[in-house]
Amino acid sequence: MTTIDTPASRLAARALTLAYDERVVVESLDVDIPDGKVTVVVGPNGCGKSTLLRALGRLLKPRGGSVLLDGRELAKLPTKQIARTVGLLPQSPTAPEAITVGDLVGRGRQPHQSWWQQWSEADEAAVTTAMAHTDITELAERPVDELSGGQRQRVWIAMALAQETDLLLLDEPTTYLDISHQVEVLDLIRQLAVPGERRPHGRTVVAVLHDLNQAARYADHLVAMKSGRIVAEGPPGKVVTPELMREVFGLDAVIVDDPVTGGPLVVPGRPWHAQ
Amino acid sequence: MTGTPLTAAKSAAARPAGYGLARRGQASFLVHRRATAVALTLAVLTAAVSVLSLSVGETWVAPGDVVQVVLGQDNPNELVVGTLRLPRLVTGLLVGLAFGIAGALIQTVARNPLASPDIIGVSQGASALTVGAMTYGIGSYAVLPWLSVTGGLVAAALVYVFAWRGGLHAARFVLIGIGFAVALKSVTQLFLTKGDALMAQQAKVWLTGSLNGRGWDASRPLLWTLLIALPFLFWAARAQRTVSLDDDTATALGVRLQRTRLGLVLLGVVLASVATGAAGPVDFVALLAPQIARRLTRTAQIPLLSSALMGALIVTAADILARKLFAPTELPVGVLTAAIGAPYLMWLIVRSRTGGKA
Repeated sequence: MTTIDTPASRLAARALTLAYDERVVVESLDVDIPDGKVTVVVGPNGCGKSTLLRALGRLLKPRGGSVLLDGRELAKLPTKQIARTVGLLPQSPTAPEAITVGDLVGRGRQPHQSWWQQWSEADEAAVTTAMAHTDITELAERPVDELSGGQRQRVWIAMALAQETDLLLLDEPTTYLDISHQVEVLDLIRQLAVPGERRPHGRTVVAVLHDLNQAARYADHLVAMKSGRIVAEGPPGKVVTPELMREVFGLDAVIVDDPVTGGPLVVPGRPWHAQ
Repeated sequence: MTGTPLTAAKSAAARPAGYGLARRGQASFLVHRRATAVALTLAVLTAAVSVLSLSVGETWVAPGDVVQVVLGQDNPNELVVGTLRLPRLVTGLLVGLAFGIAGALIQTVARNPLASPDIIGVSQGASALTVGAMTYGIGSYAVLPWLSVTGGLVAAALVYVFAWRGGLHAARFVLIGIGFAVALKSVTQLFLTKGDALMAQQAKVWLTGSLNGRGWDASRPLLWTLLIALPFLFWAARAQRTVSLDDDTATALGVRLQRTRLGLVLLGVVLASVATGAAGPVDFVALLAPQIARRLTRTAQIPLLSSALMGALIVTAADILARKLFAPTELPVGVLTAAIGAPYLMWLIVRSRTGGKA
């Protein structure tokens, strides 16, 4: 076996190989997720970005290599212990029929509870804070089925927040949302990484996003993937270039300055074809 | 509405709507208010129907006398009520409780109201082995429960293994279960036609689910099973909270999903199989009781206690009808539960196709 170096960041992958049945999706990938930053993973459909996120959140067992949390192999840690450090919001979570918003958010407290300690003041405080943070306090008694897509997504984020983890993984949190709700959710995610009383270094957030411009706008650290490999990573200003757009997405594009943030903005040009 | 997010430790808004909190020292328990009220009501109703069940028969015994006998006081009706009718009632109650819980557990794991032990092959496995033994003359009421458990467990294990594909898939579980149920039913038919004709007749009555002539030896194994299962049911009720979410979310919350599901299914299968051994496959109770209970409690997961009590209520009430409807001919209780259950099942299917989540 190869020796595993101790990564500088809390969450990292070493020589990670991921596969579904026979199909290898990610092969021998190394990545370090910067602490207290928002990392966004981008890439074309099927590049393995969601698969990578699932592995970082132990929803998928590595075929080879390992995911390291605080220097220890994820696969060897008790799942409940992981759940107190890493939260994950899957791509399309489903709620049981007729569940109320408050009930669902409360279930985020699961890893902090046991059968004889089902509801503590810490649980109550965490849920209240999470609901206030996502602006859903008024919805507490409403059934989740009756909410709009934007509200529902905020409820799921609140549930993940109630889990009170230092790291939070989000798989395409803006899918199915209209543009204003997308911005709302992304602003919220941005805020999560801001240092606060409880977390002097801020939360570490990893999100998979489809929209490259949103990724460039909201990420501290951008990871671009293609065919199961990381093609480029770093600050969006360095990563988002016409060359990368061609290599990763096969798209001719012009990169201009975002008139609002000054960051990179991708404007697609004519479709690019390999010769 | 509320503007104090950080120091609102005592605010009721944060506690899930509809829940009360029972606290003692370090321990705290969430109690669903409506579910508690429903369970209490069902318990009272079941008690009332039980008294009625002991009163009704060839001779009418006044409820006052019934209560005296049950409480162990001297009463001239001791023989009729205590010796003849009580064992049958107790068997019915226990069978109902067991089927109600079994249905609730298996429906929770499969996230499908059709996934009850009498649909996915558990009852059919139990029946096949039991009828096989009966028609070849090796069945006594003391042995039948164990044969049923074996049959039910083997059938469930096969369904589980065939539905497994790197994990348990709820939809596969139900479909493969239905397939096994059909196959096992034909095995039972084979036994009935090939085996001894007289024994086959007796097996046929057992197969419709009957409380006729069930004594203490039929209910004793079931009573023990329920008592042993009780502590596990506390665990199960809590596990339901996360298992009823989707797989990814439950895993992210630190639940060992496959192990938890296996535990829940095992618990349900054992209960359903032992109950089948005691009274035969009383159709539709495991399917109906949890679904009705859930609609009454309006909880996000299927309520275990209310499902159990609803099962007991259905079986005892149906048995009174089974005895009185065509008196002096007694119908097997399973005929009545099926007569009520089948239309309900169709309604469920029609409704799920027209949009509403099943």
